[in-house]
Amino acid sequence: MTKVDIKIHVNGDWYELAVNPGERLIDVLRDRLDLSGTKEGCGEGECGACTVNLDGQAVLSCLILAAQADGCTILTIEGLQKGLELHPLQKAFVGESAVQCGFCTPGMIMTAKALLNNEAEPDENSIRKHLSNNLCRCTGYDRPVKAVLKAAQDIKEDSNA
Amino acid sequence: MPESHIAVGKSLQRIDGVAKVTGSAKYAADIKLENMLHAKLLRSPHAHAKVKRIDTSAAQKLTGVRAFATILEVPKVIEYWFSLRTEEKKKQMFLRDNIVRFVGDPVLAVAADDQQTLDQALSLVKVEYESLPALHDPFKAMEETDVKIHSRGNVAFKVKKVYGDIQAGFNNADIIIDNTYRTSKQKHAALEPFGTCVAHYQANGKLTVYSSTQLPHWSRHYLAGALELPLNRVRVIKPHTGGSFGGRCGLIHGLEVMCAWLSRRTGRPVRMAFTREEDFIATETRHPMTISMKTGATRDGLITANEVEIVSDVGGYGTHYIGVIADCLSTGVGLYKIPNYSFSATAVFTNKSLCGALRGYGNPQMNFAQESQMDIIAEKLRMDPLELRLKNYRRLGEIDPVLNEEIRSNGLQECLEKGAKSSGWQKKRHPTPIKGTRKRGIGLSVMLHGTGAGKALPDPAAATVMINADGSVNLVTAAADEGQGNRTVLAQIASETLGIEFDKISVSETDTETTPLDCGTHGSRQAYSGGLAVKAAATEARKKLLAYAKKELGINEAQLRIKEGRVFEAENPANKIRISDLMRKTQIEDMSVCEQVIGSAAGVAPAMPGYYGAIFAEVEVDIETGEVNVLKLTTAFDVGRAINPGLVEGQITGGAVMGMGFALTENLLLNDGQILNGSFADYRLLRACDVPEIVPIIVESNEPTGPYGAKGIGEGCMVNVASAISNAICHATGVRLTDLCMTPESILQGLTRR
Repeated sequence: MTKVDIKIHVNGDWYELAVNPGERLIDVLRDRLDLSGTKEGCGEGECGACTVNLDGQAVLSCLILAAQADGCTILTIEGLQKGLELHPLQKAFVGESAVQCGFCTPGMIMTAKALLNNEAEPDENSIRKHLSNNLCRCTGYDRPVKAVLKAAQDIKEDSNA
Repeated sequence: MPESHIAVGKSLQRIDGVAKVTGSAKYAADIKLENMLHAKLLRSPHAHAKVKRIDTSAAQKLTGVRAFATILEVPKVIEYWFSLRTEEKKKQMFLRDNIVRFVGDPVLAVAADDQQTLDQALSLVKVEYESLPALHDPFKAMEETDVKIHSRGNVAFKVKKVYGDIQAGFNNADIIIDNTYRTSKQKHAALEPFGTCVAHYQANGKLTVYSSTQLPHWSRHYLAGALELPLNRVRVIKPHTGGSFGGRCGLIHGLEVMCAWLSRRTGRPVRMAFTREEDFIATETRHPMTISMKTGATRDGLITANEVEIVSDVGGYGTHYIGVIADCLSTGVGLYKIPNYSFSATAVFTNKSLCGALRGYGNPQMNFAQESQMDIIAEKLRMDPLELRLKNYRRLGEIDPVLNEEIRSNGLQECLEKGAKSSGWQKKRHPTPIKGTRKRGIGLSVMLHGTGAGKALPDPAAATVMINADGSVNLVTAAADEGQGNRTVLAQIASETLGIEFDKISVSETDTETTPLDCGTHGSRQAYSGGLAVKAAATEARKKLLAYAKKELGINEAQLRIKEGRVFEAENPANKIRISDLMRKTQIEDMSVCEQVIGSAAGVAPAMPGYYGAIFAEVEVDIETGEVNVLKLTTAFDVGRAINPGLVEGQITGGAVMGMGFALTENLLLNDGQILNGSFADYRLLRACDVPEIVPIIVESNEPTGPYGAKGIGEGCMVNVASAISNAICHATGVRLTDLCMTPESILQGLTRR
């Protein structure tokens, strides 16, 4: 099979890869780069567990071919923390008990990250609307919504400090 | 003086939180072993057929194809752990034959180097089937004698229990109502698809299986039985699990045993991962039930008789069909004091996808019927539905006739009172009529659910607590955390009992090789049954620790206290020693001792305490479209004692949403045995924007047999959501719905009929 050469910027590092034309972004992340924090819940773009950020926007990595991501900047759950310091979203998801089984959590956090990139102070409705891209069977969504509100507030306070 | 606690009753952060928010938590699909093969199942396109011939010759020639395994050689596990009790029963657990019993039933598994080769190989396998008549309707299947889905026939289980004199009960009634309810085929739909494992059969004859099981030790028993291996040659490791809700109670149909077989054949690790579609069509679902219920009551609102007849659709294979019906019985009879009760049930095999345990077991089905009946009676008697419940519920100190156990804690009245107050029940029950097409209503329902399995199923629990030389603690337990947070709760119980701070407790991996026999996580049991084992183990460790401290400080144990890493004399806190100094001394420094303080406990919980809940649902129904908008759920649950209130609230809100799905949107639809909506696009799970305000209220009735008063929560919190919503819909529109899920169509039909 003819391979496609791509160069992608993932969590701060450049990678040059030869991928199959049909290879999905999620496969490259999980299988080649060992970034297994990105989860596959359906492979059909319905559950949102595979959400990553591509050039700052939330995308479903199961619906994007790796070749389409050529030249793009990708952020996954593994790239969110700085050293040992958790990102405010990560802190809030733990602190607000927004995590249960944790399988949807990376996708939810990456959806929220893209939201906060675009909207620094989203209200609860906006958060609910965006988190509706991510299915969760454990929490009933209440705590994740609160966690994103809390993170937005923490980020704002941090930047004012 | 209020008790002072260092861990119990605190919403401490879960111990696996950071791993889960950083992506470092490993789930089964994240495990990669060297030289690992991939496997996939070939599934039956027929609902009922005999496999006449399997031809793998063309597929075998493909480069990269390594091994095959078929149902002719690999047994299916067709019973649950109740059958492990005797050798004879155990033999019946494993079935090897050439029959496929539902669309999606595995026929064969192939192992290959990569995913593409697997798909190619499966397309080259030829299977010759002889089609058999398929039975889709349990009522027809139970009468049918020519077509047998299993050799023993189509009736999997039949039971009748009578308490009191049912005829006399109806004779004493002023009103009698008789209705039939039908419940849906709900799917667990855990976000991590069911059906991912890695099996590695090593040359030394030892099998290691990474499996997202709720019951690691029973999974080990099943694998050892199916593969005829000694228990100590089978190791089950449970990685992080992406939700279970009952569907991982043991092995997944066609998964682990097939995988292990392929690994034994190739000597290489083998991974199998079901797709979401496979999860939908070929792993367990809730049992759809038809429940006929005839209930009699006096004019004053005392229930005099209840006659229940259930037909439960088991699907092609059943594991929990007896337990699920037993749960209908125990929760039905247990909740209200109805002196005359007749319960009969038949569980029937059909050629549909298999059914098993799903959060609530048989209780959500039974509760929907029971709590609808209660509201109908209240309406007929012009009585407040809340008052009717208060009048009839089984009170503290009474003996539950099914469990033959005293009710030692019951916070139902408090749940009702607090829920009514918080939701504004009295006022909203008598609203001023509103014009327009959107009608509002409020409804309530109550529930009882058992904690653990009591004496109904083997239910062992065990734990070991080891205090290290630096004063830190290892807690060893097989308690499987599916996301509820039970490992965090057990660490809190260990911390509280020892007097050693929570952050000093580390909880073991869930691995049968290193943990003592524990039933696992099912039946809302871990905080209670697991908690009792941890408390007993920690109590023993604490005793040993204090015995060493007594020698060191010259003070009797009764005078010693533990706090902030020190043991000290109560009357003279200056007389103290650090736990780390004491433990280092006994373990390492004093070479004549060299003993680590270890506490262990194993056994079974003394009871199966019921926990209670009341849900108040507020809805708005558009009578032009039939659309139901749930406005608010007020959910009050008596959990005995909330060891971690934050985690309890997490269960309640999550259960409320799963219950809303059961009420309104979730149902697997079949046509000739073919599932029509086996994807997240077609099987409608609720999303963040669909969810109303949910107000969780924790009631603490202090269960005397529980650790620090705790009993369960995990399952019960979804049980009575559907009945509360149905009662609210009826309050809003006057339409009484008897079938789940309650779609806009069914509401419109109800409105038309009126």
